[in-house]
Amino acid sequence: MALLEQVPKMIQLIHVSKRYDQRSALSDVSFEIGKGEFVLLMGPSGAGKSTLLRMLIGAEQPDEGQIFVHQKNVTMLRRSEIPYLRRKVGTVFQDFRLLPKKSVFDNVSLPLLVQGISSADIRRKVTEALRAVGVDHKRDQLPAGLSTGEQQRVCIARAIVNGPVVLLADEPTGNLDPALTSEIIELFKLINARGTTVVVATHDPLVMEQVNRRVLTLSQGTLLPERRVMG
Amino acid sequence: MWTNRATTMVAIVTTAFTLACVGVFLLLYVNLLAAAGWLQDDVKIMVYLDERLVSDSVAEIEQQLRSDQAVASLLFISKEQALGEFKAQFPSESHLLEGLGQNPLPASFVVALSPPFHSPDAIYRWAERVRQVAGVSKVDYNQDWIDALAKVIHSIELVAIGIGVILSAAAVTIIANTIRLTLFARRDEIAILRLIGATTSFIHIPYLLEGAALGALGSALSLVMLKFMYELFRQQMRATGRFAGLDNLIAFLSPSVCLALIALGMGLGFAGSLVSIRRFGEAKA
Repeated sequence: MALLEQVPKMIQLIHVSKRYDQRSALSDVSFEIGKGEFVLLMGPSGAGKSTLLRMLIGAEQPDEGQIFVHQKNVTMLRRSEIPYLRRKVGTVFQDFRLLPKKSVFDNVSLPLLVQGISSADIRRKVTEALRAVGVDHKRDQLPAGLSTGEQQRVCIARAIVNGPVVLLADEPTGNLDPALTSEIIELFKLINARGTTVVVATHDPLVMEQVNRRVLTLSQGTLLPERRVMG
Repeated sequence: MWTNRATTMVAIVTTAFTLACVGVFLLLYVNLLAAAGWLQDDVKIMVYLDERLVSDSVAEIEQQLRSDQAVASLLFISKEQALGEFKAQFPSESHLLEGLGQNPLPASFVVALSPPFHSPDAIYRWAERVRQVAGVSKVDYNQDWIDALAKVIHSIELVAIGIGVILSAAAVTIIANTIRLTLFARRDEIAILRLIGATTSFIHIPYLLEGAALGALGSALSLVMLKFMYELFRQQMRATGRFAGLDNLIAFLSPSVCLALIALGMGLGFAGSLVSIRRFGEAKA
């Protein structure tokens, strides 16, 4: 923890609670994640992992508490400011969420397109991102023509193409076999090694085995005592 | 628009039919208004002069009337001309005047007012003012006819506005539904765009433009349909020989009105999109 105090905070939750009707999704959750950390957010389905990630990008608001991402108070952001937060936070989804009628290149270029980046810069950055995840040779194909692992790589390329400070991944290996899971985790480690803070929400023990990092565990919306996994 | 070709085509054609109905009523309105305008142009005001007025004073009144900005045209009718007209119009009654020994008919001016002074109030005020002029014995015009004509014009305007509003609302609804279908079909794409940092305007502007384009295309198509119906109607009138000459009096909408109709379609399309986007946004919020 002494090391954490020396690095700038990238994510901070202070007494965050969220309820849906009578069910508590998160209850008094507080933690900090420093710049450049790789954190696993573990817990079974329904533990509140997805809710927490959605809160980090302003897609949900807590009933109580405050959330800071990259020194911005997400709970205080106006609706018009949320897109600018999301440009600093890359998101990877379990179901990939790729546009089926657009090519790999077009899918990955979307985050740059919405920021009004020039076509030349888009070409350069998309090529870099596709090379980083190893699917540059599939750039002209439609998502349906890719394997599951390749689709997840494209999703990761889209999340990192504009150089986010934080990468959030919600069950990124949920649809992958053990071999592909290892490949994707290695990819996250590479991205993290370049300085991006990575938060991976998963219930997959295989992921935990492969990551020698800090683990935050949620159980029924409550944060359990923190632990560090030694790989 | 290209992605949902069938929906887009249906929307354009339906909007075209709706706006063509607006156009038919607009065409009727413009022509009825023109006809009413001709009748108003035909309204003549008789300014009768005093019996004892000398010719210098008549010239003075004529000069005064000619310099009046409300007066569009002026015709002097002398006592002799008035008598001649009376005899020509009522030959069987002319002996009545001969028995009087002298011509009892006064000299007069027949005045037509310019269009800005065609309202019943303006005619009344003008007649009252002229009545005060020295040498004018009487100012006469058909008040009932002018009032009735003004009422007819007002009714035409009210009906046209009412029908225009109802049909415009229908066009907005049609386009709003089309855009709603498009938004629904692309809900996943919109959700992804939101998650990767697209601003609201980045997401909304294409749909607003699509609505405006739908409205403009529908409006342009409605004008083509209207022009076709108009020419067919004129051809039928000529072919049957009925209402001969009337076909030349019926005018099509002027280029500026056509442009205004396209702009209206564009505006209605934009409004339709806005309605859908607001509802869609609220549903997703």
